[in-house]
Amino acid sequence: MVEPREIHINCMATDIANSQTVQGQPIVIGEPRWVRVALISVTLLFLGIFLFLPLIVVFTEAFKKGVEVYFQSIREPDAVSAIQLTLIAAGIAVPLNLIFGVAAAWAIAKFQFPGKSFLITLIDLPFSVSPVISGLVYVLLFGLQGWLGPWLGEHDIKIIFAVPGIVLATIFVTFPFVARELIPLMQSQGSEEEEAARVLGAGGWQTFWRVTLPNIKWGLLYGVILCNARAMGEFGAVSVVSGHIRGMTNTLPLHAEILYNEYNSAAAFAVASLLTILTLVTIALKAAIDWKSQVEAREVRAIREQALAEA
Amino acid sequence: MNRPFRSHSILPGFGLTMGFTVFYLSLIVLIPLGATFLKTFSAGWGHFWETVTGARALASYRLSIGASLIAASVNSVLGLLAAWVLVRYEFPGKRIVDALVDLPFALPTAVAGITLTAMFAGNGWVGSLLEPLGIKVAFTWLGVVVALTFIGLPFVVRTVQPVLQELDPEIEEAAATLGAGRWQSLKRVVFPELFPALLTGFALAFARAVGEYGSVIFISGNMPMKTEITPLLIVTKLSQYDYAGATALAVATLMMSFVLLFLINLLQWSSRARYT
Amino acid sequence: MSIEIHNISKTFGDFAALKDVSFKVETGELVALLGPSGSGKTSLLRIIAGIEVPDVNDGAILIHDEDTTSISFRDRRVGFVFQHYALFRHMTIFENVAFGLRVRPRRLRPSERVIKERVNELLKLVQLDWLGDRLPSQLSGGQRQRIALARALAVEPNVLLLDEPFGSLDAKVRKELRQWLRRFHDDLKITSVFVTHDQEEALEVADRVVLMNEGRVEQVGTPEEVYHHPANAFVYNFLGNVNLFHSRVEEGKVYLGELPIELPAESAPDAKSALVFVRPHLLEIEHQRNGGDNFHAKVTHINAAGPLVKVDLMTDWGAPVHVELSHGRYSSLGLKREDEVFVRPKERRVFVKAETGDESRSQSTHSGPRA
Repeated sequence: MVEPREIHINCMATDIANSQTVQGQPIVIGEPRWVRVALISVTLLFLGIFLFLPLIVVFTEAFKKGVEVYFQSIREPDAVSAIQLTLIAAGIAVPLNLIFGVAAAWAIAKFQFPGKSFLITLIDLPFSVSPVISGLVYVLLFGLQGWLGPWLGEHDIKIIFAVPGIVLATIFVTFPFVARELIPLMQSQGSEEEEAARVLGAGGWQTFWRVTLPNIKWGLLYGVILCNARAMGEFGAVSVVSGHIRGMTNTLPLHAEILYNEYNSAAAFAVASLLTILTLVTIALKAAIDWKSQVEAREVRAIREQALAEA
Repeated sequence: MNRPFRSHSILPGFGLTMGFTVFYLSLIVLIPLGATFLKTFSAGWGHFWETVTGARALASYRLSIGASLIAASVNSVLGLLAAWVLVRYEFPGKRIVDALVDLPFALPTAVAGITLTAMFAGNGWVGSLLEPLGIKVAFTWLGVVVALTFIGLPFVVRTVQPVLQELDPEIEEAAATLGAGRWQSLKRVVFPELFPALLTGFALAFARAVGEYGSVIFISGNMPMKTEITPLLIVTKLSQYDYAGATALAVATLMMSFVLLFLINLLQWSSRARYT
Repeated sequence: MSIEIHNISKTFGDFAALKDVSFKVETGELVALLGPSGSGKTSLLRIIAGIEVPDVNDGAILIHDEDTTSISFRDRRVGFVFQHYALFRHMTIFENVAFGLRVRPRRLRPSERVIKERVNELLKLVQLDWLGDRLPSQLSGGQRQRIALARALAVEPNVLLLDEPFGSLDAKVRKELRQWLRRFHDDLKITSVFVTHDQEEALEVADRVVLMNEGRVEQVGTPEEVYHHPANAFVYNFLGNVNLFHSRVEEGKVYLGELPIELPAESAPDAKSALVFVRPHLLEIEHQRNGGDNFHAKVTHINAAGPLVKVDLMTDWGAPVHVELSHGRYSSLGLKREDEVFVRPKERRVFVKAETGDESRSQSTHSGPRA
């Protein structure tokens, strides 16, 4: 009757045996203490240099010339328009990619059709392509010497070296994020609940809103957060299509680059610090979602075990 | 018999979602990529070959691929260690460290670039410690390796971590009861289980490093033939309006990436097939 | 190699898995640790193996009269077979079985040739010598279990420990392997302890059974002893089928409905509530009252598909009763559903557990057969 408890005990037992001293009990199967301390130290040294130190450096460099200069650099008109452009690019790319991600995941996870793995590989493409190439393909298509170049020139439509190009490049490098989160998630959840809803008479949209969406909410949020982080921080692809026109086609990362190349280090790092804050928020949200979804999974498991126990 | 494209399902929306997906992908990916390939070969095979095998190009491959290999290897060793420590041991602040592992993945590459340069330059926090020892990092190929190590760090750790977490403690207990010492257990029983994930992580880190741009161009110094990475060479050609040359290099790089992607998938598929 | 367990306790945080457990396993015996989930039997087995350490107190485990807490794994010579086999999945069957021999320190390690001989010997012993080159994933559950056994035996252990060895297998395979293990043990005669929650398995296979509940040893004895002379209500209830009646004790009698049953005077203080246990095959069904030594019930279900006929009845006071009859008796009664009959406890072997106040005291009382 009390099966779950036995399992729980075994897990605890092996956890304790494998991980740490608990209440002064020695580790039975594990590395001796000095080995553990040494390994932890080496790891912390390595991670300290590569993870913690950069964070410290960004902010110390940003405030090197004092707080006044810091805020000046951020309030300066070119910086402000860079912020605006970054927000526009992300503001368009993320929702579009969200819709794409949901649509692609729905098609792939709930249906069977040939060529599925090819489609998935295609979706993974931007991850295996250098950002520079991602930008390059748009220059080739829309640039002056590109395919559509002459036609665009005639109609005085500027895509490359203008905002639309930047948005397009941003979309290209970030579209997989939501899809990649949702596809395995929805595949593992199967179609049973949706089919049950349909049999009970729910329409297509209703099924999606009421049944699918709640199940994928954490994965969706996760994908959106990562998508946004990349969209706002993208450098290589945007650099190629932007033309670096100050005050017009510079996103925040590009603006930081220009400042840095002009030896205006403090200003460059001030801009960089904004992006770093965004990154830290992203990481915090990601960790929070991880934790939340783990808690939920544990609750579901406990309920299931309880039900089995009472059966 | 005419089989339907998809097997029957009572769920709606296939047409809508599939249609939108294909449309989006075509617009954003297929057409631009297609244009790239066409453009390359419109300039003729000769020009393509010349650009792709030119001295400057070859030097850039050596640097990009060589530095990426070294960086991915360093990440494999230290990343495995980090994953082990994060999964198996407890220490204060572990959760923060664990969360921060995602930093290189989430941080804009330009920020990483200028920060690493500031850190490893002669007057930087780390650079000032290494320079007296005769080790110059910034503006050398070593700087490129450092930047690529940074960028690839999460890949190995995050690939190995879940495998390590799911590892059945019983096999280590079994090895111990059979008389194996701790190191023997780790070497013969635990490591083979982690190896496929490690390999995947290595490949992912390598693939990312080869195409990396933003984090590298600040610390590398960008001297042609010496510290010029392939993506930078592409950008340089573009800025000189040598579209054909840039495209040629891009296609060569793409070919390499596709091969890599294929190999990664093959690896993952074969390790899954072997053990289940 | 005997195993002596002295005063072993084990707590995990707030939870006491083992409370002062002591017993002895004689050399060459096959002992079953039997109990429900959570009884502590697996924890005890793991402590004997040395995979876990007991609470620090005066307790000890002695294998062949030596205290094991100071002995390393290698020198302990304990073979352990895990519930889910724990085979090394990237190694072949041969390499799995050879593992214990190959990891020995150089001076103790036999040559490759000797290892090969020994492994093949063992594979033949478990009747799987044709599987040497396969991977564990290519074997069935039963085969994996036997390989796990061979692997544990390769290092010539003094003591063999098995954790729910047949738990993950389906019923038919389980039965076959059970008998196989018994014969195997008879040939090898290694002191063995196995953990199970399946009482049929324990009673069928083991030389002696240790019944455990909530971290304590309830009874130790041969299968016959524990089944026919259970020490307390838990053992009686755990082994075999049993009917459970809620009752009361009044003036030295316990009541099944209106039927009073005499209890030996010295052991029966009055109790407001008591539990009466009666085995299904110790209840007789009759059509007539015949002297009033029985209680009235109605037949609700009959299952005649099996070696015995199983009859379910409902008493007047709403208690379900389960009776097992021989086919002969059943046909002579001509029972049908809805029949109104009388149920008489044969031999009066009744087990009473009285709950007085907060304590539940078990009284091992039974009344003998009627003259």
